[in-house]
Amino acid sequence: MKLVTAVVKPFKLDEVKVAVKEVGITGMTVTQARGFGRTGGHIEIYRGKEYEFDFVDKIRIEITCTDELVEEVIDAIVAAARTDTVGDGMAWVSDVEHVVRIRTNERGPDAL
Amino acid sequence: MLEAATNIPYPHWLNPADNTWQLVAATLVGLMSLPGIAVLYGGLVRKKWIVNTMLMTFAGFSLTLVVWMLWGYNMAFGALSHFGATGSFWSGFIGHFQPLSTASSEQGQAVSGANTLIPFHFPTATLAYFQFVFAAITPLLFMGALVGRLKFKAWLLIVPLWITVVYCVNAALLWGGGFFSQKGAVDYSGGYVIHLSAGVAAFVGAWILGPRRWQDRENAFPSNLMMVAVGAGILWLGWNGFNGGDPFYAGADAASAVLNTNVATAAALLTWLFWDMFLSKQKKPTFLGAINGMICGLVAITPSAGWVNGTGALIVGLVASTVVWFAWNFLSKCRPFSKVDDALGVVYTHGFAGLTGGLLVGILADPHMVQYGIKGPNYKGPGNFHVAGWFFGHSFHQLWEQFLAALWIIGFTAAGTAFVFYLVKFLLGGLRESDDVLREGDIAIHEEEAFPEPTFGEPVGSASHTHADNV
Repeated sequence: MKLVTAVVKPFKLDEVKVAVKEVGITGMTVTQARGFGRTGGHIEIYRGKEYEFDFVDKIRIEITCTDELVEEVIDAIVAAARTDTVGDGMAWVSDVEHVVRIRTNERGPDAL
Repeated sequence: MLEAATNIPYPHWLNPADNTWQLVAATLVGLMSLPGIAVLYGGLVRKKWIVNTMLMTFAGFSLTLVVWMLWGYNMAFGALSHFGATGSFWSGFIGHFQPLSTASSEQGQAVSGANTLIPFHFPTATLAYFQFVFAAITPLLFMGALVGRLKFKAWLLIVPLWITVVYCVNAALLWGGGFFSQKGAVDYSGGYVIHLSAGVAAFVGAWILGPRRWQDRENAFPSNLMMVAVGAGILWLGWNGFNGGDPFYAGADAASAVLNTNVATAAALLTWLFWDMFLSKQKKPTFLGAINGMICGLVAITPSAGWVNGTGALIVGLVASTVVWFAWNFLSKCRPFSKVDDALGVVYTHGFAGLTGGLLVGILADPHMVQYGIKGPNYKGPGNFHVAGWFFGHSFHQLWEQFLAALWIIGFTAAGTAFVFYLVKFLLGGLRESDDVLREGDIAIHEEEAFPEPTFGEPVGSASHTHADNV
């Protein structure tokens, strides 16, 4: 089993959600996040003084899935979240040792 | 009363109580815009549009005041220009293009076609400021239809043009002694000139401007309901000045207007709540629904506040809230309403409510509600001024006059608004921000956002851990 974590532009969240659902994913976890990449931040001006906002608003998406599905999930995320401009974010995959569905106590891939 | 005050340099025509009440009433109405509309609309738009909405409110208020001093007041309320025979339309639709800037024009006794029955007991500055706050709130109301895509520069041009082309003419016609007031149509304090006109301008303006982005319409959730409560509360109580100030005397009719305004508003709020609980799809009482009902009541009682009795006020609230509830829930799904993106629904809560209230004057006005004419040493007028609706006068005359004035307001405001919007569109090469800007909102347009949080911790460059101020 794999954990796919993606950091995307906030306004792309709905498109990503629809795309991964189509692949067959039944659940995802979303967190409001802030961060910086190669883009850098932006400037805001309050009462004439410039403030550098280093961290840009992002959405962090976490999806657990079976090994077979992981490439499709990543393709879906890339297709949905891409705008071809700086700051589109990134996604990474990590191994998941064990999964438990709390309501039923199912273990392993059945719990996904 | 004035004899007791001979040691104070009041001019003989000035009554301190009237002047005080008029200035307080004007300030209450001003508070409805700042901060009333700023936080009400700021709370109703998405978080990313709060700064833009608030700045359009403050800038619009300022623009109207400058226009008002330079030419607006005298065009709407000064001596009328005569372009045609006395009694004809052309003899009374606009005043002179003239500033209000000299000592005597500010401190002399107020004179206006708005009231030719008895002299005002306060100076022109008081009347000009009182009439200004009414003018100022009108574009701010229809701004609610345009938020979320209008170019800021376009707003800076729309306000002065619209005040000049549309508002001044409507005000002169109904309040400044112009054609419709000569005919006998009445508008106690702005159901037509302000609210019906704002509703029509909202609809036509939103039509020409085009809709918000699809994503913004789908996710049009309000940013802050507590700020909506603050703004709505200021609107309600501010309306005591809106309607209580329009007899221009701190007299019995001002008191009735305040009470009637509150009664109609309470009735309208409860009526909307009732329909929400028993007829809406969700069958749930909602706060934002109740606020819509409240605004309907305030708007609908505005054309009649001091001319209906308490029962009439209750009926106004009940009828207007019901009409607007059904329009909001059903008419909004029909063309052309379903095709125009009126962001905050101004055409319903101001347009339909103002029209309903204006027509109800012709039915419910009670001639025993006397606006002027209570005998006393200060009274110099020729007779009582009262308005009789169908229930009391058994004649449809007043209703007919109200109907004709409504037709004018709708037609002229639609045409004038279209002219102003197309002109600004031509001058700026478009009214709408680009989609990239609209996606970001406040930060892209102003480089400000409503709740800025530049960093989680302390700025590294200031070496805060070693700085003497660091505790």
